[in-house]
Amino acid sequence: MTSTQLADPQEILVLGIGNPLMGDDGAGIRAAQLLNSQHLPSNVNVEEAGLPGWGLPSLFENHTNVILIDAIEMSESPGTWRIFRPEDVRFIMENDTLSLHQPGLAAGLSLAEALEMLPENLTLYGIQPANLTPGNGLSPEVEDSLQQVVASVLKDIEKKA
Amino acid sequence: MTKRIDVHHITRVEGHGNIVVSVSDGVMQECRFEVVETPRFFEAMLRGRSYLEASHITSRICGICSTGHSMASLRATESALGVELSEQTKLLRKLVFHGEILDSHVLHAYMLVAPDFLGVGSVIPLAATHKDVVLRALRMKKLAGDLCAAIAGRHTHPIALTVGGFTHFPTDSELRDLRQRLVDSRADVDATVDLFSGLPWPAFERETEYISLSKPDEYAFIDGDILSSDGPRLPAERYKEATNEYLVPHSSAKLTRNLRDAYMVGALARYNNNHAQLHPRAIAAASRLGLKPPVTNPYLNTAAQVVEIVHCVEDAISIIDQLLLKGIRAETPAPVHLHSGAHGVGVCEVPRGLLIHSYWIDENGKLTGADCIIPTNQNVANLEADMRGLVPQILHKPVEAMQLDLEMLVRAYDPCISCSVHVQQVEKKG
Repeated sequence: MTSTQLADPQEILVLGIGNPLMGDDGAGIRAAQLLNSQHLPSNVNVEEAGLPGWGLPSLFENHTNVILIDAIEMSESPGTWRIFRPEDVRFIMENDTLSLHQPGLAAGLSLAEALEMLPENLTLYGIQPANLTPGNGLSPEVEDSLQQVVASVLKDIEKKA
Repeated sequence: MTKRIDVHHITRVEGHGNIVVSVSDGVMQECRFEVVETPRFFEAMLRGRSYLEASHITSRICGICSTGHSMASLRATESALGVELSEQTKLLRKLVFHGEILDSHVLHAYMLVAPDFLGVGSVIPLAATHKDVVLRALRMKKLAGDLCAAIAGRHTHPIALTVGGFTHFPTDSELRDLRQRLVDSRADVDATVDLFSGLPWPAFERETEYISLSKPDEYAFIDGDILSSDGPRLPAERYKEATNEYLVPHSSAKLTRNLRDAYMVGALARYNNNHAQLHPRAIAAASRLGLKPPVTNPYLNTAAQVVEIVHCVEDAISIIDQLLLKGIRAETPAPVHLHSGAHGVGVCEVPRGLLIHSYWIDENGKLTGADCIIPTNQNVANLEADMRGLVPQILHKPVEAMQLDLEMLVRAYDPCISCSVHVQQVEKKG
């Protein structure tokens, strides 16, 4: 994110969240890479956001359409993925144990909410990890489900664009 | 009557540490700051690796001062391999270093320390009660991050810094854009000084030895001699005479001592040793913040960080002016001179204080040994000495109030505990 320009308010921002050095925690980053290898509309900006922590509200600035992709502990079988809408995202914010990072996605979202900086249209793609231990690479279940996640995000983008 | 304070994993610091204090019938029985993270073995990881990889590996010691670790690593390698840097490289490195100091100081002062004074538990309720304060902090952090990204390729874990120079260069227009944003940030910087000059810092004085780098011509962040406020000045190569690392059973961080039982590093040590070299606007800010050297209240480390925020913004503007005057050139990194038995020491003043990397490199460019001494380690003994000095002065307070005073003291040091842990083995007796 070297750009110092203000974002186009029409821009759809997709943020891949996570740490690729911690196994399936890199699911969001891998999803961002897969998306960036596709032909995307010009008003779509996909970023590998890593662990933005308290910086999350700054990433939201001037955006009404934001899609987050992250590994989320949902007590489901590995590779299961779900779409959380803003009302569900609130649940994620309240349940900090779902957060995998310090300060986590939940803390960053809570801060954005307190600052009234949550984007109008916020979607969170959560992917159930199998393995969160140090090391590169995703488990096969998560790798497989990312194809569906990416397809769904692309559809989502199409609708918004 | 017995009072016991046992803070397991103190919050709003980087990493895991415990405060253990017990007082019985007005007499202090225990007073410890326990570093309880597991060892990280970075020095062992470096052995057998190419000199070109060292800065990228050691950058991962810390997600906050990754540029600081990269820089100390590069300076150790460059000193071992006889690398002479260009003026442009030196300026770009100072600039990115300022970006990281700003990022870290803003995070610490606003997100970790301010909530204690503004009566909230964390930055999230602070956003509700003091929205403008948090928005300002985020603006300043974003600018610092963008500055790092423009020079080093990304915000954290710099990718463009390499032995002898850079692999990527900012454009003149990126620099002009950053310059304008730095100039515009003066309003935020002034508001920061105003905010922190109004905080009721706890009253606690304990004179100690302050150690920082020192250079004849500038407020030292990269390179310099190791200066003690007690007088002695050592060249970086003789760092072991200043640090004298030792082990204690209750900490997985190595402790250090120089002329006394403990010394302090960090913004306050830098301020005490080098305040005359600060930018005039930073000197004015120090006076507004009530700092008058030597400052012996450790809680004011955060105030000294605020002074450095002012200095770094002003110095960054002046560095960009110097770079723009000459125009940025895409330079090839300066050459290395490999030879057998090469050894070099790199020293930097990272946000939390003096950082030392010392490398041994063979004729093929492989590291045969490494020694990294991190600021938080150097502060542990001094922090404990402060705790032992503070507890008798606050004994009359309820346990909760004592605990808050102690937590705030720990936070004032801005400890980065994860970084501090790098011992090979600690054996517990008995």
